[in-house]
Amino acid sequence: MTTGQLPERHAIGAAMKRKEDPRFIRGKGRYLDDIVLPNMLFLALVHSPYPHAKITKIDKTAALALPGVKAVITGEDLVAAKLGWLPTFHGFDNQMVLAIGKALFQYQEVAGVVATSREIAADGAELVDVQYEPLDPVVDPYQSKLDKIILRDDREQKTNHIYHWQVGEREKTDAALAASDVTIKERILSPRCHPAPLEPCGCVSDMNGATGRLTVYMTSQAPHVHRTAFSLVTGIPEDKIHVISPDVGGGFGNKVPVYPGYVVATVASVILGVPVKWVENRTENLTTTGFARDYHMDVEIGATKAGKVTALKVSTTADHGAFDAAADPRKYPAGMFGIVTGSYDFPTAFAEVDAYFTNKAPGGIAYRCSFRVTEAAYAIERAMDILADKLGLDPVQLRMQNFVKKEQFPYHSPLGFTYDSGDYAATTKKALDIIGYDALLKEQAEKRKRGEFMGIGVSTFTEIVGAGPGKHFDILGIKMFDSAEIRIHPTGSGIVRAGTRHQGQGHETTWAQIVAEELGLDPQELLVEEGDTDTAPYGLGTYASRSTPVAGGALALAARKIREKARKIAAHLLEASEDDVEWKDYKFNLKGVPGKTVTMKEVAFAAYTNPAPDTEPGLEATYYYDPPNLTFPNGTYIAVVDVDKDTGSVKVRRFLAVDDCGVVINPMIVEGQIHGGLTEGFAIAFMQEITYDSGGNNLNTDFTEYLIPTALETPHWETAGTVTPSPHHPIGAKGVGESPNVGSPQAFVNAVIDALSPLGVTHIDMPLTKEKVWNAIQGAQSKK
Amino acid sequence: MNLEWTGQEQIAASKGAVWTFINDPQKVASCLPDVQSIDVRDARNVDATVKVAVGPVRGNFKFNIELIPAASGNHMDLKISGGGFGSVVNLLAGADLSENGTTTTLDWKGSAQVNGPVATVGGRVLDAQAHKVIATTFENVKNAVSQTR
Repeated sequence: MTTGQLPERHAIGAAMKRKEDPRFIRGKGRYLDDIVLPNMLFLALVHSPYPHAKITKIDKTAALALPGVKAVITGEDLVAAKLGWLPTFHGFDNQMVLAIGKALFQYQEVAGVVATSREIAADGAELVDVQYEPLDPVVDPYQSKLDKIILRDDREQKTNHIYHWQVGEREKTDAALAASDVTIKERILSPRCHPAPLEPCGCVSDMNGATGRLTVYMTSQAPHVHRTAFSLVTGIPEDKIHVISPDVGGGFGNKVPVYPGYVVATVASVILGVPVKWVENRTENLTTTGFARDYHMDVEIGATKAGKVTALKVSTTADHGAFDAAADPRKYPAGMFGIVTGSYDFPTAFAEVDAYFTNKAPGGIAYRCSFRVTEAAYAIERAMDILADKLGLDPVQLRMQNFVKKEQFPYHSPLGFTYDSGDYAATTKKALDIIGYDALLKEQAEKRKRGEFMGIGVSTFTEIVGAGPGKHFDILGIKMFDSAEIRIHPTGSGIVRAGTRHQGQGHETTWAQIVAEELGLDPQELLVEEGDTDTAPYGLGTYASRSTPVAGGALALAARKIREKARKIAAHLLEASEDDVEWKDYKFNLKGVPGKTVTMKEVAFAAYTNPAPDTEPGLEATYYYDPPNLTFPNGTYIAVVDVDKDTGSVKVRRFLAVDDCGVVINPMIVEGQIHGGLTEGFAIAFMQEITYDSGGNNLNTDFTEYLIPTALETPHWETAGTVTPSPHHPIGAKGVGESPNVGSPQAFVNAVIDALSPLGVTHIDMPLTKEKVWNAIQGAQSKK
Repeated sequence: MNLEWTGQEQIAASKGAVWTFINDPQKVASCLPDVQSIDVRDARNVDATVKVAVGPVRGNFKFNIELIPAASGNHMDLKISGGGFGSVVNLLAGADLSENGTTTTLDWKGSAQVNGPVATVGGRVLDAQAHKVIATTFENVKNAVSQTR
């Protein structure tokens, strides 16, 4: 692609190959563990084998005696340094860095051993003698609710209850449910799972005693927020902290929180005056870092006999683990769970969430959708199928007759959100046509006659992303805007920096495409840089599908600032008045004089060599974008499955995802995002759960017990799209990263339940393992 | 994770001979399978290092074994506690002795509480592995007593 021949919409909408891929596919990426500094030491952490225990003694002697061990750090040491506790992101709770007096979940970090090699540090960790006095653990939030054992004696409130949050009208909803012809009620579990990025978390902390400056290389989805958090926690002035997030091997929300390893490595570097590296192993990642979901949702829907929904009520018991470390905005302790009315026009609704402590790892943040949207989308899409079954209606028909209609946008939902745009019926029609829904129904009817279990599952979800409007959303009080800085060099290439940090999303390509589109430049000549707090403008990072809705807006608006300045320079070059110069076909044109044009490259050169009089030289701009609203991508996903009634094994025969994420910047990258998210959704639906036995032992601590689908299990994905631009976003984009994970698990589950519906099966909680499906079949058959 | 097992050994020896054997910490510890080293602390306590391989968890675990004989001379409790690699194992074993002519019947019961990585593996293989360890221990007691008879 060259700037000489620009097709219409030359940059946005092009399936340009990813600029970052050459270094990744050649093994030239630079990840955290690739960073090696002179005199660097290694940190290993000691973990509690008990889920709940008093710590009566920690003896460092044997560990310190091991040659190569340089320091052993305990919770008491951190308390002495006033670093014993960390505030959680929304500021409602504090979290122990290392266990102080008590271990509250299995694998909790109890001590850190710093040594000259990773192996010696691990051996040293084995030699730290920790004496425990085991206490009875609480692993079930419904047990926690009873307050028989109070887990957090550090808190003033002697209860395991963390918070109650509610939205909507309780009385009105209860009355509407009571007056409905038909109601359904189901407890739907969105089970505890884990994002399990292939690269676990880690850091290299490097305190330079001479300059007093701390450099932290870390696996961070939000480097600026981490810099501020480090400053607030340690008291080191923010200008003395430099956070660098190198290439990140997947995040999915897991790399948003601040983990004990970062703090202990930093303390060790301050004490010892040399760089200290900490890199988790797989078990540490799965057992201690931010888990996802664990929402137990009691869902009630009322409807008329004809299948028009009248009310929705959802009461949720949330298991937050040992600390309330969910990284939700201050005003939204249950995130955006209010999206639970989904794509449907409920006249009234009510949702409430009560969160509890248990002796499990803290988190509740992540997995390609934090802010509880996945849980909400799963609950409503599963419940709509249960309602369709009760009404004897086709699930698609029920959805179609309850969709928010195209002409209702902007749509004010009963739980307080203003949906920006969508055409749910059109997206769904497109999906039905592509999959051949009527033919599938016919095939299913024939198979049922033969006693075969074929299922069709539909999910017509609405997402809520792009946090967000600063008036509602914050982290640590910092408004969730984002930022962009663009510098165009004299020869017309440039550097683009943003406050986001990609972990595989392709920003190095799509950010260049946005700027290229706005400025008529070549995206190949725009270098995108993120992740370095010394150079990038302040931003809140990449998670919750917020990069394109927020930073994407900042990029477009920063580019438009440059274009406005460029117009002055172009007018100077054209010896015309600014008002006579218009931007058209990616260049400046003198109105009424065809062929009298100036390209952005020519403007860029003039900006440094021949700037217009009274114009500041140079061509650069910064923009901080605080979006006026969230964006609401939607999609219709259809799964077709065959269930083997003798083994419970499920074969996903077809899966179609039709997404509407607004204007698409790069269709190839969007398709790649959807493939990845669907593969995760498939894993969540069929394989993944973090479980604990009654004694509080985590039973899914590595990839033999917590499964990642390989190419062998993963179904073939079919994708398509519709485009309903976001009316308020500068380029009409909505974001797509989360959609496939938010939208797909329920399509799989609905398909399996549909297959088993002749047996009277109406619900099975995920993951739908062969064993669970087989048991459901056996149970249903024995009842008959 | 809590596990429980029971078993029985017929030992071709008098009850007195068996009782004497199981009151000797050195001898009892040496009956643990894959024992690497034994360090007798006193008449009732012994530390033993045992090679453990449960799924991916492989290495030496250190255990303290405490003998708690009943005054009747018919019953012995064994408290075995220890662990390694971040795992903790607490075993409680009880043995009842009864004499039938020339042989002694040893009825044993064992229960274990397991925490840490070893428990994770538990769901699948730990139960069988731990059962094997404890059953082998009493089988070794039987063989050892029979040899020293």
